[in-house]
Amino acid sequence: MRQIDAALHVRGESQYVDDVPPPEGLLQAAVFGSPLAHGRINSLDLTAARQVEGVLAVLTAADIPGENQIGPIIADEAMLADGEVHYIGQPVAIVVASSRRIARQGVAAITLDCSPLPVIVDPKEAFGRNEIIGVPRTIARGDVDAAWADCDLVLEGSCDLGGQEHVYLETQRSRAIPLEGGRLRIHASTQSPYAGQRMIARILGVPFNRIEIDVQRLGGAFGGKEDQATQWACVAALSAWHTGRPVEIVLSRAEDMRMTGKRHPYRSDFKIGLSAEGRILAYQVAHYQNAGAGADLSPAVLERTLLHSTGSYAIPNVRLFGVSCRTNLPPNTAFRGFGGPQGMFVMECAIARAAEAMGKPVAEIQRLNLLGAGDHFPYGQPTGSDYARTTWDQAARSYDLPAIESRIAEHNATHFETKRGVAVMPVCFGISFTTTYMNQASALLHVYSDGSVGLSTGGVEMGQGLHTNLAGIAASALGIAATRIRVESTNTTRIANMSPSAASSTTLLNGNAVLLAANQILDRLKSLAAAELDLPGPADVSIADEQVLVGGEPAGLSWTELVGRAFKARTGLSAHGFYATPEIHYDKATEQGSPFAYHVYGAAIIEVTLDCLRGTYTIDSVKITHDLGRSLNERVDLGQIEGGLAQGLGWVSLEDLQYGPDGRLLSPALATYKVPDAHFMPDDIQTNFIPIADDTNAASNPGPYGSKAVGEPPLMYGIGLFFALRRAMRAFRPDLDLPFVSPLTPERVLMALYPEGHVAFPPIASAVEAAHER
Amino acid sequence: MAQQNITIKVNGTDQAAEIEQRLLLVHFIRENLALTGTHIGCDTTHCGACTLILDGKAVKSCTVFAVQADGKEVLTIEGMTTNGELHPLQEGFMEEHGLQCGFCTPGMIMSSYALLQENKNPTEAEIRWGISGNLCRCTGYVNIVKAVQYAAQKA
Ligand code: FES
Ligand code: FES
Repeated sequence: MRQIDAALHVRGESQYVDDVPPPEGLLQAAVFGSPLAHGRINSLDLTAARQVEGVLAVLTAADIPGENQIGPIIADEAMLADGEVHYIGQPVAIVVASSRRIARQGVAAITLDCSPLPVIVDPKEAFGRNEIIGVPRTIARGDVDAAWADCDLVLEGSCDLGGQEHVYLETQRSRAIPLEGGRLRIHASTQSPYAGQRMIARILGVPFNRIEIDVQRLGGAFGGKEDQATQWACVAALSAWHTGRPVEIVLSRAEDMRMTGKRHPYRSDFKIGLSAEGRILAYQVAHYQNAGAGADLSPAVLERTLLHSTGSYAIPNVRLFGVSCRTNLPPNTAFRGFGGPQGMFVMECAIARAAEAMGKPVAEIQRLNLLGAGDHFPYGQPTGSDYARTTWDQAARSYDLPAIESRIAEHNATHFETKRGVAVMPVCFGISFTTTYMNQASALLHVYSDGSVGLSTGGVEMGQGLHTNLAGIAASALGIAATRIRVESTNTTRIANMSPSAASSTTLLNGNAVLLAANQILDRLKSLAAAELDLPGPADVSIADEQVLVGGEPAGLSWTELVGRAFKARTGLSAHGFYATPEIHYDKATEQGSPFAYHVYGAAIIEVTLDCLRGTYTIDSVKITHDLGRSLNERVDLGQIEGGLAQGLGWVSLEDLQYGPDGRLLSPALATYKVPDAHFMPDDIQTNFIPIADDTNAASNPGPYGSKAVGEPPLMYGIGLFFALRRAMRAFRPDLDLPFVSPLTPERVLMALYPEGHVAFPPIASAVEAAHER
Repeated sequence: MAQQNITIKVNGTDQAAEIEQRLLLVHFIRENLALTGTHIGCDTTHCGACTLILDGKAVKSCTVFAVQADGKEVLTIEGMTTNGELHPLQEGFMEEHGLQCGFCTPGMIMSSYALLQENKNPTEAEIRWGISGNLCRCTGYVNIVKAVQYAAQKA
């Protein structure tokens, strides 16, 4: 089945928020953001802004009728700054005008008088000053302190992992339309319509049922519109509330990059202990998460970091510590992987360091320590699956890892200016919201009397193919063509209390809700068909290919006829399905439980060629073995794998968020912040899947029709690029102790390769000679 | 602000308007003509979402003034179908699943169109270079390259 919106997309007819024809009198809003990363507001001068011709309103915290608070987990985030500012770009005032340009002119006319306060951009510094958010967390298993003594080798190290800008191609935007009786309808580009509804109700001081959020589709999100879309929905809503007119806000790319949160930078310290043969006996890590100025989703992101801090490995003694540190950056937020990537990255750094110290291949230590079916995660959940090893071994075998290794050794022995590297990156990713109550979803299914179907769920289509999956699920369940199914916009008046579309769980949750709704309708229709066909009961009745079957044979009754008769027989043709993932739980007091419905596994082999004179590199290939389960739509799933991979590769290589000591983002545009383009991506990307018959992981998988989550896990394959590059760098400079600093931009690679500066020095001269002698 | 009369042939139809000289072509297309298939992703020539064809060449319309297009011909995504028939590129992006959120798709198609005008049989490397001014954050480009190859084979 094709992507359900493909025909609209290729004609340019799909409508994003601001593509919908503007309602009469639509106004535009723009936001004045703080010019300082930390300061006390002395005065805010709005006079000049108000005098700009075409400006209709200038709004500040004082104009918020309800509570000035939009923090999703911890109430520490004002919608509009009041008293103090905590990061550059923090919304302080809103200008509403007849056009976007005039609104921006109004913003430019605002002056803020502010006394500067000390700025913190580094999480360890924040931790040192006790600027922490929520409570530090520790997951422990075994006795790590006692275990060091049993180790043959104990090593320590630290990592400095950069953040990542989402670069959803559609920037944040929202359009609010006043309705009768003080109600508002907001067309928002959000992954979390319910969060928008809740927060707008909060700032306006009205019940939730006065606020309707409607989401047709998003031009990308990747976590960046999970809770960070709420701010902009609130801006549109507050503006419409005050002016009584429809108001839209569309951020420019520069505003979006400056004002919104990103993937969290982490600074982490690890300690790893191994036996002489390479078994990891003990591992300890401390993650200092750069949360930015507000909690946003940081505590939940930190939790997932800790739950993924041992990656795909079985380690008997661990202590995993993490803390969210408050700095003066925009509040960092969800981004595909949600903290998991950082936890796994640091684990891989520790293994790389150990392998380098032991003179063993990294892959040997990795393979030796992979999780097995009888192992437990540090938080107590059993793996119940051998998939860490299955996927690794299939990748190594099907892509002939030994041959790759020898090609690389051959190249490196015969080339001086270029060196090649390879790394294997195993992925093990837990599926579910770690906040257990969020694992719920609803679907509303209408069968119209002509046989066409309208389907609403709480899931948001953001490019991940959700609507295609849902239509496929409904079509299979009802036994009809997917073309009969219209997946409606996501709307809070049709679906209440929805969880955000996140945690790779959107199809799992909403797809199961669709199945539950469809089955209700199916039961009613089957009973009716049995009555119509004079059968004793519906047991033998089924529907397939739009026909009623009895005992598997067509009974001469089509879907449309059956539905028509059901309508006349006064059969309910609408149903609501509600799903909650069974058997998951987590106890934060003991840091033990079974927070995940299951885990997705895979392994990727990444090859890179490094130009050691320039620091530039080419990714030669990425070869993946992935655990997909029974795919609902292989094209959609492969697209998720390739797209996730691209973001992972970008995170550790090109995408460099540089902040000045004053908290200013120095790479606030796509000119200075590079994301992977078609040329950067390798030509050779291969993916194979674990045969379904071997699925040791299937029993615990609650995915609709045996499907598995695929949104986030592939991102972490990209981490392998860092280690492939590291290997190539070490082939050129085995004498150096390379730091674990990500991203490895070509600039950073070059600086690392020549710490002495660019003068010729003995290692190079002798290497040149050696290469020439061969 | 200074106004100017312009006439641009957009998707085969002359469009005359009196516009502000600073109006960007992308805003003229999206707002004055309500052709919203051309998107804005960055405002600064880096993403390619706003790509359209101006007198046969692909341009990023976020950095072209509408007055610069005066007397010229513009082709946008909406003009790619003929009598309801999809262009092979449009077909290719559909068939090869060269799209996810769809936001980059119109710009990708227009850049690919310009590429295929110049080079009917591009190699994979030429395709990758040809669309490297267009960003897609969703797909990883594998299927976008296939979509262009599909169209090249078909044409
Ligand atoms: S909007 Fe024109 S290139 Fe990005
Ligand atoms: S499909 Fe989303 S940016 Fe390309």
